Parts: sequence; C-alpha cells; structure tokens
Amino acid sequence: MLSNRLQIVDDFRVGFRAQKAWGGSMATAFFFGEAGAGLFFISQFFGFVQGMAVALLMVLIGKGGGHLMHLGRPSRGWRALARIGSSWISRGLFAIAMFAVFGGLHILDVSGKVLPEGLSMLVRAVAVAACLVIMVYQGFAMSHSSSISLWSTGLMPITSLTYSLLAGTMLMLVLGYDSVLAEQPDALRMLKLAAAGLLLYGFVVILAMLHAAKYGSEGGQESVELLLKRDFAKWFVSLVILVGFVLTGLLAAFGPTSYGVMLTMAAAELTGYYAFRVLVFKAATYDPAVSFAAHFRR
Amino acid sequence: MAKWGMVFDLKRCIGCNACAVACKQENSLPYGVFFTKTLSEEVGEFPTTTRVYIPTLCNHCEDAPCQRVCPTGATYTRPDGIVMVDGDKCIGCGSCIVACPYDQRTRLEPQMLERGLFGNGKLTPFELHGYARFTPGTAVKCTFCHERVDAGLQPACVATCPTNARIFGDLDDPGSTVRRLIQERRGRQPMPERNTNPRVFYID
Repeated sequence: MLSNRLQIVDDFRVGFRAQKAWGGSMATAFFFGEAGAGLFFISQFFGFVQGMAVALLMVLIGKGGGHLMHLGRPSRGWRALARIGSSWISRGLFAIAMFAVFGGLHILDVSGKVLPEGLSMLVRAVAVAACLVIMVYQGFAMSHSSSISLWSTGLMPITSLTYSLLAGTMLMLVLGYDSVLAEQPDALRMLKLAAAGLLLYGFVVILAMLHAAKYGSEGGQESVELLLKRDFAKWFVSLVILVGFVLTGLLAAFGPTSYGVMLTMAAAELTGYYAFRVLVFKAATYDPAVSFAAHFRR
Repeated sequence: MAKWGMVFDLKRCIGCNACAVACKQENSLPYGVFFTKTLSEEVGEFPTTTRVYIPTLCNHCEDAPCQRVCPTGATYTRPDGIVMVDGDKCIGCGSCIVACPYDQRTRLEPQMLERGLFGNGKLTPFELHGYARFTPGTAVKCTFCHERVDAGLQPACVATCPTNARIFGDLDDPGSTVRRLIQERRGRQPMPERNTNPRVFYID
C-alpha cells in the first residue's frame, strides 16, 4: 500500500516514465508470432510439413493466446480488423487470419495434394506473404510509437525479421534433424552456416538499435542505460548478448553438427530472443513530456 | 465550429493540484487514475534553485498519434477538436497508450473499478454511480470535460483553478483569450518535435 502511494507521489514529478501498457503477454505473443512465422518460412524451402504445422500452431496458439491474454476486451478482438489503412495492429491481425486459412490449406495441400496446380500455387503464395507480414509487422507496430525512442527506429522491423529468420532456422535445425535434414547433410551444414551469419547480422542490428536510441533522445538514453548499466543489465547482457548471441554464435560457427549441439544452440538462441522481447518492453521509456528546466536556466 | 484548446500560465500555477482533484471528482476516476496532473520540477543549482509546476493533460493533438494507431477506430476527433475514446469500440490493446508521446492515457483495469476509493473493495454510492460510465479494460483519457463544454461550461479543472492558471477557449477565434495569450506571450506546445500539433500551449 505504501509503495503504491509513493509511486503516485512520484508520478507527480517531471521525469522519465516507464511504458507499462505492453508487458509479458505481448512479449510472449511477439515471440511465438515471429518464431512461428520464421519456422514456416524456412520449412517452405524443404517442404517440411511437420515444421509448417508446428509453425501454424505456434502462431495460432502462442501468438493468438498471448494477444487474447493481453487485450482488455478480448471478446471484441475481431474489431481490430477495422483500420488496415493506418494501424499495424490491424494489418497484423489481417495477416494472422490469412495465415491461419491459407497456411492451413497449404499444409493440407503439401501433405495430400488436394488442390489443383494453379490454386495450389496461389494458396502457397498467400500463405508465404501472410507469413512474411507476421515476421515484420510487430517491428513496424513498435517503431510507429514515436513516443518511445528505443522502439521508434527503422531498425525495429529489421530486428523482427532477423530474429524471426534466426528462430526459424534454429527450430528447423532441431525439428528437421532426424527427418529432412538427415537426408540432406549439405542442407544441415548450410543452415548452420546461415545461422552463424544471421547471428552476426542480428548482433550488429541490436547494437545499431541501441546506438540509435542512445543518441535519439533523453528517453532513449535512459532506456539504453537501463539495458546495459542499470536495472536490466544483468539480464540483457547475460541472456540476450552472451547466451543469445555469443554462445549460440560459437556453437553455430565452431560446434559439431550433432543433435545435442543443435538443441543447445536453439535453446540458447530462443532464450536470448525471448529475453530481448521482454526487456525491450520493460526498458521502454517515455521522454519527459514537458520540461522547462532549460528555459528557466537562462 | 470552435476548435477548443487550453493555455497553461506557468507564472500563475502554484502546484496545488486542485485541478487534479476536480477532474477526479467530475469524471469519477478510480484510485490511481488521473486525467490531469500538475507535475513539479526543481531547476537551477544551489543557491539559485526554484521549483516550477507544470500542469499536464491530454493535448488533444491535431495529428493525434493515438488516433492513427488505433486498430478499431475507437479513438476519434470530434469536429470541435476534442479527441475522444469510444468505450464500446475499444478492445484495450494499449497501442494508443504506447503511441502517446505525453503518456496521457490509461487502460482501465477491472480491478481499478473493484478496489474502491477506500481500498476495501466496497464502492461508495458516488463510485457506483460514476463508474457506470466506464467500460473495464478500455483506454481512458481527458475529454476536456466534453459534457460540460457542450453545455457551455468550462472544463472542471479550469473552473476550479484558484489562480486562473488554466485558460480554456476557442483557438480559431482571433478574439479569444487563449489566442491572445498565445500570440502575446509566445505560447509553446509540448514536444513540438513530435509533429503532433497539440491544442495545449504553455506560457511563462
């Protein structure tokens, strides 16, 4: 009770304010959405039906469930389709709906050839297009929030795409190890190499994102300090950087191609990725809305 | 059609927060929810320090980011410039809350309406009557007391301000007090770099 009261008193001072509207359930939804869409996309190249099915479930149950848990009025969630012209949330929901229908049809088609050739191509194209939107729209939705410098960068959709492809590759390495990849050892090595490249690229994107935030505004600087030096530093540095990039990168670049290594690599990358999703929400800071300190200093 | 706006005279504001209390009373706001606050800030270095008080509320931006990102169209702007939230359309996704650069929106969690102002879970007759206007789980914000404005009255915070630090009026009327103050005392909008064109101005 006392801490609640102190919080309210503190709210009456000019200063940085933490974003509290999006939390754990949104982070979970974003994680499953991007990882699932990434897996579906990678599975396309190998015609890996089990991977596509797991991906569809991840998006529908993991992402859908996370969003429903987050919404204040979940029964009205369908209304979010109303503003596709201006809202990335609307566009994302539309893509999820298309992905559910056409992704499901595509899986049935790949499993049993139930559609004629032309229609099959069309279903596949729509499913992959919807999948691509799911891979990036969350980054656009976040970067659209100009109030939070940590998010308000064009690098956010690229971060989403990179993490999505990375998670998809890792899951593919684990799920396809004994099936499609066992038949194509070259593909296994190629995917492992691709993972190493994506990790390097992703690491640079994260650094660039932090750099943009730090020099973007005072709120961005506060967010970066929270992530690298203060409250969330132990989690961000250990999980996102060391486990998610360094350990995973070392295993991808120098580890053997055994199942144990693939499993460890995927677990480390997904741990780092989930931690990133949660911490980027937690460290999001609004700039002080109004401050006349500089004016009064004159 | 008038375009309503507000001017805050920082020289007059004494930081009493009577505006915040009047707003809570007028809008039956539950514990922890504020549509307006007067923030304080210490400036300068010893021995030349001072404390300034900065009233804040929804800026009813002309290019409102909250309206742009709303996926359902629940956030809309009335012809007189007041930005509103339709509680029947809002799904409580929070995208408007993260999009508002001024942190002036709140999601009304169901427990906020169940706690009671005394924290014992029992609602007073005032709360029972007032909370009926809210839809739990949706976003809420200052509406410039639109019912009062429609009835030709001033918003509650303006009417109650003991020092006349809040001035409300028609920004499109060249003869209005708000226009004159903005022109004569070089009114400044909060965070102009965000390109939201707020209808709230500060003068000092």
